[in-house]
Amino acid sequence: MPTITIDPVTRIEGHARITVQLDEQGEVQDARFHVTQVRGFEKLCQGRPFTEMPALMARICGICPTSHLLASSKACDDIMAVRIPETAEKLRRIMNLAQIIQSHALSFFYLSSPDFLLGMDADPEERNIMGVVRKYPQMARDGIKLRQFGQRVLETLGGKRVHPGWIVPGGVSHPFLAEQRDQILGEIPEAIRITRNALHWFKGQIEFFRAEVRSFANFPSLFLAMANDAQEFSAYNGWLRFIDANLNIVADHITGADYMNYIGESANDDSYLKSTYFKPYGLANGMYRVGPLARLNMCKSAGTLQADEELAEFRELERHSVLSSFYYHYARLIEILFSIERMDTLLHDPEILGKNVRAHAAPNRFEGVGILEAPRGTLIHHYHIDQNGLIETANLVIATGHNNLAINHGVLQVARQFVKGNTLEQGMLNRVEAVVRAFDPCLSCSTHAIGTMPLDIQLLSADGAVLDRLRR
Amino acid sequence: MTRVLLIGYGNSLRGDDAIGPMALERLHTQLGNAEFLSCHQLTPELAERVAACDLALFVDATSDGEPGTADVKLLSPELPDEASLTHHVQPAALLELALTLYGRAPRAMLVTGAGANFENIEGLSEKGQEALDEICRVIPTLI
Repeated sequence: MPTITIDPVTRIEGHARITVQLDEQGEVQDARFHVTQVRGFEKLCQGRPFTEMPALMARICGICPTSHLLASSKACDDIMAVRIPETAEKLRRIMNLAQIIQSHALSFFYLSSPDFLLGMDADPEERNIMGVVRKYPQMARDGIKLRQFGQRVLETLGGKRVHPGWIVPGGVSHPFLAEQRDQILGEIPEAIRITRNALHWFKGQIEFFRAEVRSFANFPSLFLAMANDAQEFSAYNGWLRFIDANLNIVADHITGADYMNYIGESANDDSYLKSTYFKPYGLANGMYRVGPLARLNMCKSAGTLQADEELAEFRELERHSVLSSFYYHYARLIEILFSIERMDTLLHDPEILGKNVRAHAAPNRFEGVGILEAPRGTLIHHYHIDQNGLIETANLVIATGHNNLAINHGVLQVARQFVKGNTLEQGMLNRVEAVVRAFDPCLSCSTHAIGTMPLDIQLLSADGAVLDRLRR
Repeated sequence: MTRVLLIGYGNSLRGDDAIGPMALERLHTQLGNAEFLSCHQLTPELAERVAACDLALFVDATSDGEPGTADVKLLSPELPDEASLTHHVQPAALLELALTLYGRAPRAMLVTGAGANFENIEGLSEKGQEALDEICRVIPTLI
């Protein structure tokens, strides 16, 4: 059967390829997203003291180490059975918000803005961040400035931008200082200005991407995100909730103790990335989405003034839930705005400078689960320890795994819409990649960029002859 | 006064790859007027700081060349071959970013120390140590 292979997928966090299979008539028969790198952290941490887990788990990724640090610390809090001091919880929340800001800024400005600014059909030699730098320098400066803001907050609180060690089991290692708070507060107006400008600009662009809105993983699915009593946007504390495409609650009040009753994991033969699914519906019918789109569909309000105004406008896109994954980009910008506003509120809370920032305890349970909303979606760390406090098993359920079924479904939808026949065009293949980018998958990239590798796509006939070939 | 920025980059968990950041640690007291920046890798966010200095010295380890030696190259702004620029950039590309986005690229040099061992270990090899010594001897002469 003729097959098109996109290897590697560019401008995503990690290593992956896409295969598109054609039938004898040149129509798309199937399309798959394959993750070609293995992580292995669940295995290599076995036998290590549980207190090492936050620092160890943060090494999974160079983009979202703070998310793993937080989820891991929450799992350790659970093992120690402690309630961390309120000041520590607020400081952790600020870290999580800063992580969302810097990661979303990277996704929107660095990885995806070339598609919006230069066009899906533009020459790939131009359609990259350098093309944006040359043609839209103010947008590039804004993107850099906004990411810098998020990173600076992480660095100010955590001591360094990547792999900060400040968050520990039981809280944080040392208190926050007034001058650090004032430094961050001073940068907030500029960060809000940039985000509002980007939102205004992006909303004006949507009409030029109607075909992408229609076909970028645009289908009914379940959504999973953290929920709370106030039904506000929640990224740190709460329980898990599944809703359907009509915003009906399908499962609610799911905690760390029972998430395995609702979330199933399935290994795939052709990818190192597991697919998770809503267990009561089974693998075939249990596809769901997580991340910015799911979170905005889930909450009744953001809980901050400007983000709520934007959320109200966002909701007007559809009658029920917003289904097109193209709108992940839009949702990301609203989440950045919310994160800056919420951070501002937390920083004005006098308790943030409290000195009691860590609870100390020995293990009081043999099992612990930490859950939070990472930039890309719900993140779960689940550990078992032995009587010496050493890790026996670790299970990590990561946002991109939650989205894996939807990503595959989306790749097939886009391929059927844009890939036609025996001739390949960059624009059609870029759209197949771009639907993956909309989910901003993170495949444990650690420290290297994928864009340095060549892209080689071959279109093969049924007998194996090369009909067409594209290289980047 | 000439504003000097030294950027030492590398991974301290990969043996001799730590030469750049270690060179900055050692030179910190000797070159008190310079600005020092240690990081794992160069990222686009550094462009603004690069644009604000008069002389930028990029200090890195290399697996090319005779282990234990140091090398200095003049840099000028240059578009990257593969323009992804998402997570890390080369020094010349960072200069290009500084020039394009902030209107100014400083005089710049790449100072490299040739290492021998880049495995997953902490600490320098004997040749890495020699390269570090040589880098620390050369850098003050460039300012």
